[in-house]
Amino acid sequence: MFHCAAPFYYHLGLPKQASIPLQIPHRGLIFNAVKLFICALFAFFTALVGSTHAAIEVVCTTGMVADLLRQVGADRIRVTALISDGVDPHLYKPTRDDVAKLLKADMIFYSGLHLEGRMEATFEKMRQQGKPVTPVTSSIPVEKLLTQGNAADPHVWMDPLIWAECSRSVVATLAKADPDATGLFDENAARYRESLAAISDWIRHAISTIPAEKRILITAHDAFQYYGRATGLEVMGLQGLSTESEAGVADINRVVDEIVKRQIPSVFFESTLSEKNVRAVIEGAAARGQTVKPGGMLYSDSLGSAGTPEATCEGMLQHNTRTITKALSGDTP
Amino acid sequence: MESFWRVLLLQDHNTRVVLGGACLFGAAAGLAGTFLLLRKRSLLGDTLGHATLPGITFAFLMADSFGFSPRSFLWLALGATISGVTGMGAVLMIRKLSHLKDDAALAIVLSVFFGAGIAMLSAIQQLPGGQAAGLERLIYGNPASMTASDAWFVLAASFLVAVICGCLLKEFTLLCFDEAYAMTVGWPVRPLDALLMGLVVLVTIVGLQTVGILLVVALLVIPPAAARFWSDDLRTVTLVASAIGGISAVVGVISSALLPGLPTGALIVLSAALLFGISFLLGKKRGLLMRYFVEREAARRLHREHVLRAIFECAEESDPVVSIDALLAKRPWKKNHLASEVSLLADEGLLTTDPSGSYVQLNGRGDSEARRLVRNHRLWEIYLLTHADVAPSRVDRDADLIEHVLDPRLVQELEDILDDKARERLVPSNPEKLQP
Amino acid sequence: MKSLPLEIRSLNVAYHRKMVLWDADLKIHPGRTTAIVGPNGAGKSTLLKAALGLIPSASGEILFYGEPLKKVRSRVAYVPQRESVDWDFPVSARDVVAMGLYKKIGWCLPVRSRHRRMADEALADVGLAEFAGRQISQLSGGQQQRVFLARALAQKAELHLMDEPFASVDAATEQAILALLKRLKEQGGTVVCVHHDLDTVAEYFDDVILLNMRVVAQGPASEVLTPENLRKTYGARLSLLDEAVVDLSRPGAPREP
Repeated sequence: MFHCAAPFYYHLGLPKQASIPLQIPHRGLIFNAVKLFICALFAFFTALVGSTHAAIEVVCTTGMVADLLRQVGADRIRVTALISDGVDPHLYKPTRDDVAKLLKADMIFYSGLHLEGRMEATFEKMRQQGKPVTPVTSSIPVEKLLTQGNAADPHVWMDPLIWAECSRSVVATLAKADPDATGLFDENAARYRESLAAISDWIRHAISTIPAEKRILITAHDAFQYYGRATGLEVMGLQGLSTESEAGVADINRVVDEIVKRQIPSVFFESTLSEKNVRAVIEGAAARGQTVKPGGMLYSDSLGSAGTPEATCEGMLQHNTRTITKALSGDTP
Repeated sequence: MESFWRVLLLQDHNTRVVLGGACLFGAAAGLAGTFLLLRKRSLLGDTLGHATLPGITFAFLMADSFGFSPRSFLWLALGATISGVTGMGAVLMIRKLSHLKDDAALAIVLSVFFGAGIAMLSAIQQLPGGQAAGLERLIYGNPASMTASDAWFVLAASFLVAVICGCLLKEFTLLCFDEAYAMTVGWPVRPLDALLMGLVVLVTIVGLQTVGILLVVALLVIPPAAARFWSDDLRTVTLVASAIGGISAVVGVISSALLPGLPTGALIVLSAALLFGISFLLGKKRGLLMRYFVEREAARRLHREHVLRAIFECAEESDPVVSIDALLAKRPWKKNHLASEVSLLADEGLLTTDPSGSYVQLNGRGDSEARRLVRNHRLWEIYLLTHADVAPSRVDRDADLIEHVLDPRLVQELEDILDDKARERLVPSNPEKLQP
Repeated sequence: MKSLPLEIRSLNVAYHRKMVLWDADLKIHPGRTTAIVGPNGAGKSTLLKAALGLIPSASGEILFYGEPLKKVRSRVAYVPQRESVDWDFPVSARDVVAMGLYKKIGWCLPVRSRHRRMADEALADVGLAEFAGRQISQLSGGQQQRVFLARALAQKAELHLMDEPFASVDAATEQAILALLKRLKEQGGTVVCVHHDLDTVAEYFDDVILLNMRVVAQGPASEVLTPENLRKTYGARLSLLDEAVVDLSRPGAPREP
């Protein structure tokens, strides 16, 4: 308390030695009381303003969702992702530790549209516990979603403009927990949407440099439909929307056919899937005289390792685009 | 549909590789599985399959921590072999050192090993770097992504299994049939047993890629079980088992081209089960339907014989024209059962009936046929009386005539006795009157 | 001194902690048929199996023709109990008999037609010539027993160890086995059988070994089968009627007119 009194001495214009209570007892006491009171008020207000809400504990599933949350929530939230990079979210089963983390969380976010196919029951349990569980894809207008048969395609982060729509549900949900920061969340989200729009343009431009006859992207599973729609690239996957279905002989034959017919130069691996199916396709094409080179590895259902540029959605999309354009003879930006 | 025909006609390299690899695996599994079945160790095959999981996941984790590519199949196969063999050793040890029997020992090892594997699989799932992709495939199998090098591996393994089983066919047969006798004669029973189980381990490793850990036992057990319905000869059983194994694999792969949503490994096993069902019903030696037809045929023949003999005997006693009522009095037949047989015999041209259907008479052909049957029957009766000690093992329901079973001199003896009795006018149908 | 076909000294066999054979000593003499008799659970089968090394023995010395078994295996043939195999196995009678020839054929070599002919000859010796091609489950119990005997015959051994060959067989088989034993003796072979039936033991066999965990007595049948010895072997279980039957069945005993 006394250290805060010193500046007030200067303010009040009194010399430092002025507080000798014994000499002028009544005046000294009143001065001290006023100083103490002002100190207390000051301290109270500093505490009020300085002590932020403790950061919201947010647990999410994939790295993409985690990245989105960090962009919007900044330091008002603390984010933990359950699914590490390189792990397939279609097949991911939550462990006991994961459930413990979810129970301790203040809010839970997941991608949605059945991407985390094996975690539905866990989410339901968390909802019953009263926790807010939000799929970030819920704020995407239905008409903008792609479907295959009856199922919606969950790989929305591949189109930056669609992924930008997800920020709205994040803002809405975070604001409920921390209303004071609503303005901050809105700003961050808007800024993020702008940068996503810029990336979207950059990607479109890069892909447009690929010669028309080579504009086909063949990957291990159907994860790139949104990417294809946004850029005008034709896409083809060996396994379907979810990696739970296995690629059969007919699927491999179909893809080999396309490769040979259109003389496609490259096919791509994915970071979360085994290389086996794609290698079988390469071999099948080679047996028919078409040499197909592995074009490289793309990030489809996950981001890159922490600390690398691919650890964010933007970085991931840039890596993918560069890899694709290089392999398909475009101008690599 | 078009893709189905393409697969069937083997137009693509991938199809050829996958079909070839799967077919060879099926054949090898059927072959090794025959001996496993005969050795009564089918459940051990199941335990072996499950026990490979911790080895695979451990090999994976080791490779990952040492920094080299853990996805190499040979490395994983090594892990699978070691843990599979350890599992089998654990079963033997539990059996030997405790009072637990086979089924408990197998259940313990299967569940403990597989559980450990699943736990490690969950840990691998958390590893960053995407390396875990594809391990789950080894549990459920994914033959469609077989490459040429995989197929060569399957070929080499199948060839080895075929060569060893071919060379050691008689040794394995003896081992499976009578182990104690084999030991006394001096065969090294333990090493042979170990070799046989080694072949099963090899087949299991090959099967990891094709049908996956869980279903390998199906291809080891179902083909030989199905083959058993077709033959009683071991050599034929092994060949048929290999064939069924190979065909199931081929049918499974081709039908997975037709039904793209379904996993190939499961379709292979379902094809094997279908073939088992067919064998169970229609198998030449022991199939249900076959046995039913054989029984029915035998009953029919017996009934015909009884009717003819009864008519002859009635005619012998009194009048050539025999009444149906007299026949019914002779044997406890149902009226329409007798009537239907009579009409069948009439169709055959052996007898004639009167318009009202209540009297029958044998004609020339019918008479000689009935006479032959009666004589045959009476000779058997005499034989049973005179050779009571040895006769029961010779009487064969399916034997047509006594000459087909007993040697001619004996038959001549019996005929002499019969003729004597006939000359003395003793009615042979009352055997107690005969002197031994 | 020519070695005995089988000589056992101080054989002790235990199953878990229970003693099954205690200090068993016996000598088998060449050119004779010997029966091992005793009550159920006396260790008769165990004796054969331990002698052949099929089950481990705690201690004891077992010599075949003066040597351990592994040096003279070709001179010894074993006929196990019928229940020891699964008769549903997909082999024919001929195939089973041919198994006796496998050692002679050697490793990895196939069974040829001349081996099958030899198997057929052995089957004819036991009266099963026309059953050679039958699958073994289609044979009667007695016929199955004879198939085992034929297998042992095919080995052309000198010493035959048989485990209850006469158990539950029909009369024809019994005659066939007896004829076989006689023939083996005539050819200079030695036969040891575990036998269950006191009534017939003196009639069928030259020598008898009375066994009840230890060898109570051994020697020629007429000498060994005394009421005293039988009481020592079977305890008080042997009823008066059994004793009378045994008495009557001894060769030289007065018979019914």
